[in-house]
Amino acid sequence: MILLQSHSRFLLQTLLNRVQNVDKGVELDYQWVEFDDVRYHVQVSTKNPHIVLLSLSLPIPPPETDFPGGLPSGAIEAIKVSYGVVVQILDPPRDGFNLTLKLNLLKLPPDEDYKQSLLVKIASVREIVLGAPLRMVLKRLGSRMMIPNGNQLIALVHRPKEAFFVIPQVEKVIVVYPMRFSDSIDTVLATSFLQEFVEARRTSGLNNAPSCSWSSTPPLELKKVPPEALSANAGFVSFVIFPRHVDGRKLDRTVWSLLTFHAYVSYHVKCSEGFMHTRMRRRVESMIQALDRAKPDGEKAKRSPNSRSFKRLSLREARTNSNS
Amino acid sequence: MCLQNFPCQEVERHNKPEVELKTSSELILNPILICRNEAEKCLIETSINSLRISLKVRQADELENILTKKFLRFLSMRAEAFQVLRRKPVPGYDISFLITNYHCEDMQKSKLIDFIVQFMEDIDKEISELKMSVNTRGRLVAAEFLKQFI
Repeated sequence: MILLQSHSRFLLQTLLNRVQNVDKGVELDYQWVEFDDVRYHVQVSTKNPHIVLLSLSLPIPPPETDFPGGLPSGAIEAIKVSYGVVVQILDPPRDGFNLTLKLNLLKLPPDEDYKQSLLVKIASVREIVLGAPLRMVLKRLGSRMMIPNGNQLIALVHRPKEAFFVIPQVEKVIVVYPMRFSDSIDTVLATSFLQEFVEARRTSGLNNAPSCSWSSTPPLELKKVPPEALSANAGFVSFVIFPRHVDGRKLDRTVWSLLTFHAYVSYHVKCSEGFMHTRMRRRVESMIQALDRAKPDGEKAKRSPNSRSFKRLSLREARTNSNS
Repeated sequence: MCLQNFPCQEVERHNKPEVELKTSSELILNPILICRNEAEKCLIETSINSLRISLKVRQADELENILTKKFLRFLSMRAEAFQVLRRKPVPGYDISFLITNYHCEDMQKSKLIDFIVQFMEDIDKEISELKMSVNTRGRLVAAEFLKQFI
């Protein structure tokens, strides 16, 4: 799996299971964590088997982001638009979570394909909620609208206490990521990966992809940002998104790709390290085999007594020898 | 390589690799330093009962640096399995071998030398293959990501 998928597989599976067995009463209480500190909680009670309570907890936003009411701006509208009557937002959310939704499985559309796509969309609740502000910006880009505040820098959360920056303009949107890694090996591998991004963009097949650049110092667009938000040991990556990247069906995919860019790079850095370990272990085994070939088995007996030195026995061995 | 058994002169009933201790100058021969270029060198120190070979591997950039460190640390931690490998490299070098007269008795000399040479070639090969795998993966990952936007 090279690309990260926008729906949570476990959540989708749980929902599909519930939909298929909506009459059977069963007690469910699952909690799990996904990458970048996103927690889910699903609860079904035997009294109402068609009602599913889904709670979502988001990563802690850094101070420079805007989180009115504990959710990214525009999240509530996005939920209402995407899910319609099937979902009801509970206020206040469950303790310890940013959002709680009440799903009524009986209100799902009867058409199979439509039902399936809606369930996948519900399983992508993370993308809808966290990606809401980015989606608004990119939708405006797609419709080539004039922006009210012009060129204002927006900080959006993608990892716990870390933000990435979006600068909306009329003809394009610039997205800048300060790339931070906690481990020094991760940092070096990530830097080489990120430089490949710039190289890959130059290959002929990818001319229509967003233009991509990497720099070790904060780019000019970030000059108004306070320095604490700009520490990045693996440099800064900037993408320039044009209206053709957010046309029609591409909008959702673009939002998800940009939202999880750091997670994507981090995931592949870890895969790479795992692969290197496997390789090294294999190489060590082959080297030890080569060493074993240097030990002749049959010729041990032939060695002349003169060249044999006597290894000093340990005290215990010497004592047992003398006793026996 | 002609090593023979030599019990320790100073302490009774001890048998130590003299090249490590360097206590008596009559037991040690002059060390030989072979340099391929500024970044790569090989130091061979001999004594009457032991031989120490230290290598410094070429590290062109930051990535090669961490790959080399990671790989050689991986090997050194398994030094017991290799028998002739030293757990810590001599200061100033990346990896060291310690061959004693006992090793020469257990294993054929020529095969042992072949092993050391093969080892050195393997290290070079492995580091360059690891670097290539990282670059290839990076390119693939980048291409897949950017393809999503087209």
